[in-house]
Amino acid sequence: MDFDTSVKLKIYETIAETAQAPAAPEVAQALGAPLSDVLAAFNRLHQKRLLVPEPGDPARIRMASPFSGVETPFRVLALGKSYYANCAWDAFGVPAALHADAVIEASDGFSGEPIRLEVKDGAPLPQECISHFAVPAARWWEDILYT
Amino acid sequence: MLLFRSEETVDSWCRANGVPRRPLIDLDQLWYMAVTWYGNRLTVESRRPGPDEMVQIFAAIGLEGPFWDPQADQWRSST
Repeated sequence: MDFDTSVKLKIYETIAETAQAPAAPEVAQALGAPLSDVLAAFNRLHQKRLLVPEPGDPARIRMASPFSGVETPFRVLALGKSYYANCAWDAFGVPAALHADAVIEASDGFSGEPIRLEVKDGAPLPQECISHFAVPAARWWEDILYT
Repeated sequence: MLLFRSEETVDSWCRANGVPRRPLIDLDQLWYMAVTWYGNRLTVESRRPGPDEMVQIFAAIGLEGPFWDPQADQWRSST
């Protein structure tokens, strides 16, 4: 397994276990690797669109999709933990990645009315709810934090 | 990519933000996209789908056309 894959797996393993995105020093310590190597791997994973660092701080993770490194309006309760997702798609992505049942606590993008979704036994339960994709696929990464 | 309770609140959001209404995705479509994209994200084999794979994934649930094509030129410099 190459180093970047080891870093990526350690990031996801940590998030899955703790519901918190690790910073580069934590990953370096866990892998017994130099911090500079881990920071370089963070950058390469970002170039591959597998990771988004915190703006202004390349050692911290804003997005390791579907997980968010910060609190968002998409809270996902699964495996007895509270995760945060980046968007509607990623809110379902968390239980898909964890292969777990989940309850998603979100809200209507305009009215703010609470929306509660549930994934059970590998499928979403019916709910009066839709998702709107405002940005075309060709422009998703022009401003991924907005997308 | 936001969630809405109804098409009415989608339209209200679009008006408030000055953007055109774009595709609406139901929960079954959203779940398919999530499983396809992220189902193996915690494994060694995980990788982001390539552009052609993305088009195929979206087409499988009826999402076709340039809006869903990451290589569509018409979206690159204007909204």
